[in-house]
Amino acid sequence: MSNKLLLAAVLALGAAPVLGQEFTPTRPVEVVVHTGPGGGSDVLARAVALMIEKEKLLPVRMQVANKTGGGGAVAAAYLAEKKGESHTIGFLTGVWLTNPLTSEKANVTLKDLTPIARLVLEPAVIAVKADAPYKTLADFVNAAKQNPGQLKQSGGSITSRDNVVRQQIQQVSGARWAYISFPGGAERIAALLGGHVNMMVIEPAEAGEHIRAGNMRVLAQVTESRLAAFPNVPTLKEAGFNVTPVPQVRGVVAPPGIPRENVAYWEGVFRKLSQTESWKKFLADNQFEDGFQGATDLVKFYDEFSNQMRGILKEAGIKVVR
Amino acid sequence: MDVLSGLIQGFAVALQPVNLLWCFLGVLLGTVVGVMPGLGPPATIAMLLPLTFLMSPAAAMIMLAGIYYGAKYGGSTTAILLNVPGESASVVTCLDGYQMARKGRAGPALGIAAIASFIAGTVGVLGLMLVAPPLARMALAFSSPEYFGLMALGLAMVVLLAGRSMVKALLAMLLGLWIAGIGTDLFSTTDRFTFGQLELLSGVDFIVVAIGVFALGEVLACMEPRTEAQALPVPRGLRNLLPTMQDLKDSRFAFANGSILGFLIGVLPGAGSTIASFISYGVEKAVSRRPEHFGKGAVEGVAAPEAANNSETGGALVPMLTLGIPGSSTTAILLAALVLWGFKPGPLFIPENPALFWGLVASMYVGNLMLLVLNLPLVPAFAQVLRTPAYILYPVIIGISIVGVYSASGSMLDLFLLAGFGLLGYLMRKLDYPAAPLILGLVLGGAMERALRQSLMMSEGSLSILVTRPISAVMLSLALLILLIPLFGKLNAWRLRALE
Repeated sequence: MSNKLLLAAVLALGAAPVLGQEFTPTRPVEVVVHTGPGGGSDVLARAVALMIEKEKLLPVRMQVANKTGGGGAVAAAYLAEKKGESHTIGFLTGVWLTNPLTSEKANVTLKDLTPIARLVLEPAVIAVKADAPYKTLADFVNAAKQNPGQLKQSGGSITSRDNVVRQQIQQVSGARWAYISFPGGAERIAALLGGHVNMMVIEPAEAGEHIRAGNMRVLAQVTESRLAAFPNVPTLKEAGFNVTPVPQVRGVVAPPGIPRENVAYWEGVFRKLSQTESWKKFLADNQFEDGFQGATDLVKFYDEFSNQMRGILKEAGIKVVR
Repeated sequence: MDVLSGLIQGFAVALQPVNLLWCFLGVLLGTVVGVMPGLGPPATIAMLLPLTFLMSPAAAMIMLAGIYYGAKYGGSTTAILLNVPGESASVVTCLDGYQMARKGRAGPALGIAAIASFIAGTVGVLGLMLVAPPLARMALAFSSPEYFGLMALGLAMVVLLAGRSMVKALLAMLLGLWIAGIGTDLFSTTDRFTFGQLELLSGVDFIVVAIGVFALGEVLACMEPRTEAQALPVPRGLRNLLPTMQDLKDSRFAFANGSILGFLIGVLPGAGSTIASFISYGVEKAVSRRPEHFGKGAVEGVAAPEAANNSETGGALVPMLTLGIPGSSTTAILLAALVLWGFKPGPLFIPENPALFWGLVASMYVGNLMLLVLNLPLVPAFAQVLRTPAYILYPVIIGISIVGVYSASGSMLDLFLLAGFGLLGYLMRKLDYPAAPLILGLVLGGAMERALRQSLMMSEGSLSILVTRPISAVMLSLALLILLIPLFGKLNAWRLRALE
């Protein structure tokens, strides 16, 4: 409300800098991502830059800077070093939050940066090969109980959501199965389709194509409520496993020590983005959930998420350092 | 005739003037990117993504793929002329390519590299066109134990890369394996040998080591004599700048070996073009009638790895297009591009988008031809680079190396590492340690360790999984055979002496 008045005043006077309250970027904005070109964050950042340009939400261009390494630790440290810099933002994912919990050296947490907004929640589904004998998640879990340690799941590193889902189901069911880490998503899917592992946690858009081609079957979805694309597949709770799905998040952060107006400005840009048609189409194409939250909610989310993760990691026998 | 009608449909797309133009732009840009060390196809494609939204998907796919395979052509140029690998896959080309240049045969080396790239690039597309779906299903039979076998086979190649001393070669390889171990352990997320450096958490970038040991090490060693003359001899006359009939004859088998092995290894999502070129180089040397020429400027030592890393492109597109699973960072970003344009990559991609697939295939035939026509006339021009006096050329090589490494990562630590590995390369030359085994260990180390540990997780700790699965058993036996080659050589020499 007051912002609007201010804006009106500025427009009327045509002299923006004099008031000095509103922040507007004046040179290209650097967008820090922790993956190399083609990685999840990199693609999201480039898609967002494209949409922001198309919707004219920013007067300047956005340039993606790939600061790879340490599972997000290098990018987070880079942002932390840019204290007070108002033309740099970063795209965070879940590893930015979990990494500092397990790695002594990854010492930049969300508390050391300025949270801006949460953008996306990525749901997941539990898939098996189409010719597998398991028709439901309970079938799989029972088979695992009868042959402890014999069944296998392919996934990412042990701190990834794939393993978190496994730990949670193991905990409530008492079943045990092996977890095999593969660095690339391609290898995880190849291991399942080749029959070398029995189950995997996969993104719905990816699974969708393999289901359509008759290669995969989905047993359950790691969501609170059913996804539009999978109306007949039960959620974890509906399948009889009382666990809270851990969301895979993507969001925006800024360096520490930037003025409150700047935080409000960036939050506003991404709020506007989340309401555009191009954003909605992007979410639908990728089967992402709209996870928009402002800065204050993101901090609250972070605390809850970290606590939940600490418990799960400890349960899994992984050393928690923070 | 599914293939024939598909191809006709494809050429109808690829030969539209506008698509021809995009194809040409793509391969031209690819060549430039390949020549420059550091900046690789994934970064280039990522930067061009916004532009592709203004184009039709077919045109965009044709252009981006052109960058991908065009870069493989360009990568050999600096490897042969300056001992600077333009991209990771051209490391193996340095071994004999640079030695050819030192003997005044830079022109023939560049020419053979271009011809090998053309033949293998075309074989790769043929493979993509004819056998993609069944081959992709076969590739799924490959899992961790099989990858371990493949990597062991690759590591056994060390006996073929050794110089005079096998012990020195093995020591260099161990050093490479150790460097591969630096970083965060995938399975336990523990840091290893990171010395408190945040940036080392993701390990040491292979290209930093390769450029340091090969390019900087060579420059340091060459600066010792303090000559003011030109660095390397370049004969006059166009005839001496192009491959001879004898060169082509010597490379016949290398073209075939590299093309086929490169394609097959490319299809596997967990391998890659560097491994493909190492293995085809090793195979070439193992079956050669004059293995003693390798490492000293054998023309087939350039033809085999260059062929392998070009047909690998066709192979790598197989799992990406038929299953939607990308095996390399470049195919990963091509896949991401398809999603951004609104396609659904996966098993049904080809049947549902035949025009796009066949247009891409046809454009790759055209693009490979363009690359040959583009690259062959440039050979004499590139060879003239070596006429530059040493006091200009060497600082330029150092500059290219530094800019190349920094442009890839933007990290100061990488520059210090580059300097360190340059010094290491120099010392290795002085002490007569071969550099290739170090690189081999570094390339294979990480993947091999992962494959072994994944296999043991699958078998609950039993090593028998490595020999009870047929593919991995065959690979391990082949590795053993290769390890025995020097022994056979010794036995043979002994037999000959006894006969005398």
